Amino acid sequence: MFRFLHAAAAVLMLGAGIAAADVQIQSGGATFPNPIYQQWIKDFGQAHNDIKIAYAAKGSGAGIGGLLDKTFDFAGSDAPMNDDELKKAQAVGGDVVEIPSVAGAVVLAYNLPGFSGDLNLSGPVVADIYLGRITKWNDPAISALNPNTNLPATDITTVHRSDGSGTNFVFSSYLCTQSDDFQTKVNFGKTVNWPTGQGGSGNAGVTQAVQKTEGAIGYIELNYALKNGIPFAMLQNNGGKFIKASPQSVSAAGEGAVKDMDEDKTLAVRLWSRDGDDVYPISSFTYLICYKDLSYLNDRAKAQAIVDFFWYATHDGQSKAADLTYAPLSSGVQQRVEQAIETITFNGHALHPTNK
Amino acid sequence: MMTAAVESESQVVKRGRRNWGEPAMRIAATGSAIVILLMLAALVVVLFVAAVPSIKHFGPGFLMTSTWRPNPLPVLKLDAHGRSIRDRRTGMKVVDHNEPPRFGALASLCGTAQTSMIALLLAVPLSLGAAFYLVRIAPHWLIMPVSFLIEFLAAIPSIAYGLWGMFVLGPWMGGPSRWERIFGILPVPAGIESRFAWLFLQIPGLHWLAQQRIGTRVVPIPTTGRDVLVAGIILGIMIIPIITAISRDVLRNVPRAQIEGTIALGATWWQSCRETLKYSRSALFGAIILGMARAAGETMAVLMVMGSAAVVATSPFMAGTTMASQLAGEFPEASTNDLHRGALMELALILLVMSLAFNVVARYLVVGKSARTSAAH
Repeated sequence: MFRFLHAAAAVLMLGAGIAAADVQIQSGGATFPNPIYQQWIKDFGQAHNDIKIAYAAKGSGAGIGGLLDKTFDFAGSDAPMNDDELKKAQAVGGDVVEIPSVAGAVVLAYNLPGFSGDLNLSGPVVADIYLGRITKWNDPAISALNPNTNLPATDITTVHRSDGSGTNFVFSSYLCTQSDDFQTKVNFGKTVNWPTGQGGSGNAGVTQAVQKTEGAIGYIELNYALKNGIPFAMLQNNGGKFIKASPQSVSAAGEGAVKDMDEDKTLAVRLWSRDGDDVYPISSFTYLICYKDLSYLNDRAKAQAIVDFFWYATHDGQSKAADLTYAPLSSGVQQRVEQAIETITFNGHALHPTNK
Repeated sequence: MMTAAVESESQVVKRGRRNWGEPAMRIAATGSAIVILLMLAALVVVLFVAAVPSIKHFGPGFLMTSTWRPNPLPVLKLDAHGRSIRDRRTGMKVVDHNEPPRFGALASLCGTAQTSMIALLLAVPLSLGAAFYLVRIAPHWLIMPVSFLIEFLAAIPSIAYGLWGMFVLGPWMGGPSRWERIFGILPVPAGIESRFAWLFLQIPGLHWLAQQRIGTRVVPIPTTGRDVLVAGIILGIMIIPIITAISRDVLRNVPRAQIEGTIALGATWWQSCRETLKYSRSALFGAIILGMARAAGETMAVLMVMGSAAVVATSPFMAGTTMASQLAGEFPEASTNDLHRGALMELALILLVMSLAFNVVARYLVVGKSARTSAAH
């Protein structure tokens, strides 16, 4: 019995040892930005010994769910909160701030043995492929985008993400902007009902399915494709130019989005289908989300730490983005982010970032 | 002898008086049993409460439709000229109203049934054969290592089977029919599915097994190696150990007298074996049901190899989904939408009730039989 008590006491003391940090922040959500969030948390933690942040990569939906039931102090999400979620947030904690942290892109990987060179695709064509209307690679619609090439008569097998994900949200939202039929027959969301094709779980599952199936096409995150050297298609943007996705062509999309950030004072905007010469069209922000009024935390130091972390992430932290194949925020977006961070309050007082 | 017994008994009484061991043990054990019951009850209640939005909204129709559409479908607003209007902010067309999401469990119910059936077709003959071999044929020195290996197979985490299915079995089954070399030497046929698909297309009346309808056209199904068949085979491999282990124990528990009796009556070896099998058939059936319950509840491996499409597959080469894998795939992103979450919870509830029923039946057959036998002795 005494031995048991000793053991229990030891466990408790161990727990206290871990809890030595003065401020502990629980957070979680999107998996897409997880590598860079962990990097930021590590770097931020080195500068602030008394702050410990935990980010659990459980998926965007789980992140927002955690914010709504207040198990997370802030959340990461690839999709901004929808009206339903905003209404729920309003009821439990009031307004939220959604701050773009980095941007990413969705690219189309394909498997066409014998086809050399870059494959050109356009939004409407991709929509028709995923609607099951274009079923052969040598379809006139695809050939028209790829003059003087040898497209085979192979059947197209479409591959989609089977698990609910921000990637689904971004890709289906983009196709909705490109095709009315896609909007009315499939619509957008983290899980959508694809009319044709096959599912793969995660980026790895989709990639594997594409690589093992002749004639397959699938969508994956840009940074996954770059990290693993997976070839992907060039995509036609609003200006008619075929663009290869890269951190630069994704950051460029941010500038076009800044003007929409003014409209109703939220930073949650689409990044896909933006105008601009060198803009890659399937780009999107991923967001850090918290309540505007952090009084409910009952801990000013904790509220301050969240604000400081957001500031760090969107400023000094941005230099880490390109190394981890994310697109950093453009300067116009960064200005909006700064204004948004300044609106976060504690007991009626603005929490100015201390690391400005 | 006598005195020793009395002495030890009095010691027990003394010790019992001195410490709290007995009541503590009683309370702890009873408490543990109650906690387990409470956990099951809590599980059912929580699942049911979370499933209520879906049960209310869809009623029994949930079991009879296969549409699984977690997002609403918009109907576009038209201007005076009947044209849709673009919203500059979203980049999409302005929506007049939305058709609400729809959920039906038929696709995943069918997928679960189909994959479990394929798994049983593969696993039952192999497992019963192996169990029979171990009990009646295998030389003594072989029984231990083979039994150990079978139990080892049962302990492999399902994600390992899933990875193997995704990277080895699936690609080998799918793709065009071809020859592949193992370790660069031994040639083996690959693209098994396309060979079977070709065969089905040659046999009148079986064409539908290799074809699907897209719109108005009937086209051959591409054999990708991520479909109902591959998922069924993976599940079959996964349930072989459990069926083998249980049926081995069942066959081993056939009373010696029973076997010797048949031989005494002049039965040949084969006749005696048949009697043994007949004697334990209901317990063997129970073992099969336990295997089936495992197949029906398997999650990760199926998610990785079945192609995850919410359709009722009419061919073994079509992608499909099962209840467990659909839950695992969609739950992380469904937590803020009550109806989607409710529909997934209803799937979980069905799965729970189903496996409960499977286990009750199997237990009745396996344990009930041996209890009845031992009572007869």
